[in-house]
Amino acid sequence: MFEDFLDRYAQSNAIRNVNTYYKVLFGIITMIVSLVSTSPVIPLTIFILVSFIILFRAKIPAKFYLKFVTVPLTFASITFIFMAFWFGTGSYIYTLGVFNLGVTVSGFNLGFLVFARMMGGFACLAFLGLTTPLPEIFSVLEDFKFPEELLEITMLMYRYVFISIDEALRMYQAQQTRLGYSAGLKKYYQSMGMLIANIFIRTWTIGEKSYVSMQSRCYNGKLNTMDDHDSIKGIPVRNLVVLLLFEFVLSVGVYLTGSFRVL
Amino acid sequence: MHIAEGFLPWYWCVFWYALAIPFIYHGVLQIRKIRKEHPEMTPLLAVCGAFIFIMSSLHVPSVTGSSSHPTGNGLGAVFFGATVISAICVPILVFQALVLAHGGITTLGANDFSMGVVGPFCAVFAWKIAKKFGAGYGVAIFLAAFVGDWMTYVTAATELGMAFPVPTFAAAWVKMMIIYSYTQIPISIAESFLTVIIFDYIMRSRPDLLVTLKVIKAEDASRYDDEESDEPPKKVPEAN
Repeated sequence: MFEDFLDRYAQSNAIRNVNTYYKVLFGIITMIVSLVSTSPVIPLTIFILVSFIILFRAKIPAKFYLKFVTVPLTFASITFIFMAFWFGTGSYIYTLGVFNLGVTVSGFNLGFLVFARMMGGFACLAFLGLTTPLPEIFSVLEDFKFPEELLEITMLMYRYVFISIDEALRMYQAQQTRLGYSAGLKKYYQSMGMLIANIFIRTWTIGEKSYVSMQSRCYNGKLNTMDDHDSIKGIPVRNLVVLLLFEFVLSVGVYLTGSFRVL
Repeated sequence: MHIAEGFLPWYWCVFWYALAIPFIYHGVLQIRKIRKEHPEMTPLLAVCGAFIFIMSSLHVPSVTGSSSHPTGNGLGAVFFGATVISAICVPILVFQALVLAHGGITTLGANDFSMGVVGPFCAVFAWKIAKKFGAGYGVAIFLAAFVGDWMTYVTAATELGMAFPVPTFAAAWVKMMIIYSYTQIPISIAESFLTVIIFDYIMRSRPDLLVTLKVIKAEDASRYDDEESDEPPKKVPEAN
């Protein structure tokens, strides 16, 4: 159910050891370029380029990446269809024949632009999520003066999410061995309800226990980790120049293709 | 209701960030206060956050660039106050964007404003109103969860309608609310019942925490204590 979790790839991909700041900078800046674009050309280019980096540079298995892509792809496609039909003004270029529905030029263009921007933005998010473990992203946030208390809660939450996945899996298997999900629809919902209600309770119980044991080992509200962080100064100049050039080319592309429309 | 990455035009992204940040800041101060005064609350706070994370990850696709899912923000808002949820929603939304490709970094302001600001504030409001009219804890928490969930979606529809007011804002808004309703009515009712179960459990097992947070009155907590505890009754009959 949850075995093939994304966190595993974040911990062991081919560019795992590249400077964290470099990856975060690349992800965020490219995302912003994709967002400010007014034509679908650059966001789609970004999607293809970043997907190539994910697949061939970070060496994420294509099967897993494709599965990951289907989520936003479904959303984006629904958006595209919805906007093409409902978000346009002007005359129809294609009519469905029923319900007086049709596709308009402005609706099609808007839908395609949003589709492209969603896919471009998604690729950057996937890049960050698949190549950088979350604890390292936390350490970047810490450097950007993200409040300490919130970071503390975040780390605990991160741990609790994994506890609850473990517990959910355990309970799910226990229920299955007792025919929990295969004895009719009513039983299915009953089992589901039991499972979800107990996830919270079990997680909390375990969380309380671990908190007490942490306190008995001198926990004073700060989790100290022993790892040598990357620093922003550790990025090689050559890489920085490449990054800036890349973003510059993309920005010029945004400017040049600004008025491009598919229809 | 997470609006997907790249869906909103950039000026709306900035606008919603600007609206959400004061609440987040206040929430951080509140968390700081809670951590200082009642450090024993930390696990409950983190579990409430994890609860929001899990609940809002169970989504089905809905209106354009958005989805339909339970929010789970009512429970935490009633316990810790609305702005605490505003702050806690930030890391949750970052998680979801990075790990599940659900929501996004640029749309984080908008998502936080709906799920972390308007939803929780209305949940707390509903809880207070229900208590004022003498409703029991079960009814009040049900209403809080229900209102919290729905107001989140009303805000999300407003955000989407403002970004794409085609043909007009009102028409777009109504359209989105209708599409949301199909999936959200059963989801929100199920979520509210679930919240009641969880609240009831917390009230039975650790009423002291809820008394400290001023969620329930001390005499109600002791009533639960008497039912549950294995200790001998407090009034020992006098020996003759």
